[in-house]
Amino acid sequence: MSGDLAYLGLAEAAALIRDKKLSPVEYTTALLARIDRHDPELNAFIALTPERALTAAREAEAEITAGRWRGPFHGMPYALKDIIDVEGIATTAHSRVLADNGARSHAAVTDRLEAAGGVLLGKLSTHEFAIGGPSFDLPWPPARNPWNRDHFCGGSSSGSGAGLAAGFFPAALGTDTGGSIRNPASMCGITGMKPTYGRVSRRGVVPLAFSLDHVGPMTRTVRDNALMLQVIAGHDPADPASADEPVPDYGAMLGQDVKGLRIGLIRHFYTQDVAADPEQVDALDAAVRLFAEAGAETTEITLPPLQDFSACGQIILAAEAYAVHEQWLKERPQDYGARARERLLAGAGLRAVDYLQAVRWRLQLRDQVAAAFSNIDVAITASSMDPACRVDDDAALAANYWRQARMPFNVTGQPGLVIPAGLSKDGLPLALQLVGRPFAEPMLYRVAQFYEEATGWTKHHPAGIAD
Amino acid sequence: MTDEVRDRARALGLDRLTDEHLEQFERATTDMERHLKRLPRDMPPTREPAHIYRAKRPTS
Repeated sequence: MSGDLAYLGLAEAAALIRDKKLSPVEYTTALLARIDRHDPELNAFIALTPERALTAAREAEAEITAGRWRGPFHGMPYALKDIIDVEGIATTAHSRVLADNGARSHAAVTDRLEAAGGVLLGKLSTHEFAIGGPSFDLPWPPARNPWNRDHFCGGSSSGSGAGLAAGFFPAALGTDTGGSIRNPASMCGITGMKPTYGRVSRRGVVPLAFSLDHVGPMTRTVRDNALMLQVIAGHDPADPASADEPVPDYGAMLGQDVKGLRIGLIRHFYTQDVAADPEQVDALDAAVRLFAEAGAETTEITLPPLQDFSACGQIILAAEAYAVHEQWLKERPQDYGARARERLLAGAGLRAVDYLQAVRWRLQLRDQVAAAFSNIDVAITASSMDPACRVDDDAALAANYWRQARMPFNVTGQPGLVIPAGLSKDGLPLALQLVGRPFAEPMLYRVAQFYEEATGWTKHHPAGIAD
Repeated sequence: MTDEVRDRARALGLDRLTDEHLEQFERATTDMERHLKRLPRDMPPTREPAHIYRAKRPTS
């Protein structure tokens, strides 16, 4: 298969499929062959569903040929993190604990993607229960980074990030409780959106922490990300946290420049609270200069220290996750991998009052951030503080868990979008994070796409998996 | 592994943890202490939690 087809974007592929210049069956067949060739070295997939995919692709092709094109996702190959239910397929959460957990119905997001005509290729690797990884003591190996397979690909939506960077599919879903969409987006050089809390239904998704969990789109480009969010966003009465807010046109502001926009730089997160790798700092400084030269008003803003958000978020996460896992940890602790078990046990001894104080603190932090955002249109800050470390470096992996500026926006529920921002001297992706007001995803896409077109970073792909 | 850690785990109903698991339990709870030290304890009494109970509207 030509590299062009592997790295075809969702928007480009959709136009070709609509115009009957690209067959969904040929496209799906070509991607499945690429996965067959390269996934044994990358482990992006836990379960491939080729027969199901080809059936869906044939049906899509027949409908489109008959003039019944449903929209940009019709005939589009995609894949799901394996904590998202697909009827008839096991949702394992990459854990021995749920190895035989056959799903009896679709998750809400699966329903939406199927209704849009999507072609599911399979279920993707995750850190165990979206918290413990990368791990080598589980029934499936951890995903590897296509930029350098000796390096961490981020997580917990690790297969989603690795598979996109490897050209296995143009779109995937991830989930994000403390940064699990934005971390692999940073490490793999792709685009990951954690939408506003409640924007996308969590029904049918294995929970990690109820009040911090988000589902969101992962793609290679900004436009593709907006297209996928358009399909999955919307109110769902079956999700108690679902927001009953109108769904805007996520592509409406694409193509606009940044002149006159007020862009706030949260620099203290990555220079003062935590000292980021100099190459990452340089990439962020360069982005701010680019926005300023394009006519944006850039100014530094100050939020509470990063450690406050980390503490508040980690206490809430640990308490809520332990509520999910308590019984299993008591009865079958040996069925967890070491990393998940350790992180989940953090919630075992928490007192109710500590959880409640954290949940009360959360509103205070949210209000402080909202006040800072009242004078800006969008903020820019780091996602990860470092490029991807080696996957066998335990100390660096442990540091990766907290050397990040993603948890603040799980705590506040604001949207956060991570996009590629260059390559390190070692050839590993650097990234930046854009943060918006609640439900202001179209503004994030506008600013991100402006940066993407000005820099061209999303056109860079890993070497070594060209065919 | 100290008896104190084992006893603490047992008191929480975690009586199937091996020595390796207990080491993980101790590291995890020690790390959590670091976060707990940052929790503000002087919030005004009227500050409510971020998510509160809502009565369910009757469907019929």
